[in-house]
Amino acid sequence: MFKKKLTLKLLIFLILTDFIETFTHLCFKKSALTENEVVITNISEAAVFLQAVFSSPFLWLGLLSVLATFILWSSLLSKIDLSVAVPICSFSYILIPLASIIFLHEKVSLSRWSGVVFILLGVVFVSLSASEKERVLE
Amino acid sequence: MREGLVFILFLIALTSICDTINQLFLKSAINSLVPPAGNIKEILRFIFKLILVPRVWISFLFSLISLCIWLFVLSQVDLSFAFSADSMHYIFIAIVARFILKEKVCLKRWVGIVLIVVGIMMVSIS
Repeated sequence: MFKKKLTLKLLIFLILTDFIETFTHLCFKKSALTENEVVITNISEAAVFLQAVFSSPFLWLGLLSVLATFILWSSLLSKIDLSVAVPICSFSYILIPLASIIFLHEKVSLSRWSGVVFILLGVVFVSLSASEKERVLE
Repeated sequence: MREGLVFILFLIALTSICDTINQLFLKSAINSLVPPAGNIKEILRFIFKLILVPRVWISFLFSLISLCIWLFVLSQVDLSFAFSADSMHYIFIAIVARFILKEKVCLKRWVGIVLIVVGIMMVSIS
């Protein structure tokens, strides 16, 4: 068994992956926005919608960042537990409201921000649980 | 309107499940390989070896399904809402990691995950 400890370097890379993921979601949302008032009742309408989405440059930019995320994410997962990596990536819940305000001009209420505090606390707990395990191992 | 919302929530749950399966297969494929050293050449070689593992392609398939549903969801609701309702994903991941991947999920980690989910719920209900 190899060591699975959460170092500062890994944490920084996880947050970097998060940033790229936020970027991905922004691109996807932008590509979906090109079609306003989407009503889908059958499969052929869904196909038309997907066709419109796939012709948007934002979707391809999004897919490119998916590739970057895949490379980063796979190498990170080879070093740490899945149950550590995934919760830490909830960091994007803080990045996404922020990005939604700045780039998409969506409204984010004050109560949403209070949820952000809980998420941050949770991330701290999960990170601590991973660094503690390392001390037991060594 | 309410019926539409229930349908969207169902779709988001479906995306979460697909995503969990995707992560499960990816992690299990990665676990079958030797982890790479820190440099870029080694990492790229590792990625190349990884995509030759059949399990990774199952993971890709589920991620593609999840992406298609996700794109539709995003066309209907705000990004911040859609992303918030996706929180059940964390519980699924923890359960799958504990029981299928046999990772040791200690109390502190559970507490952290529950805090995250509560936080995300607060974010989505508002």
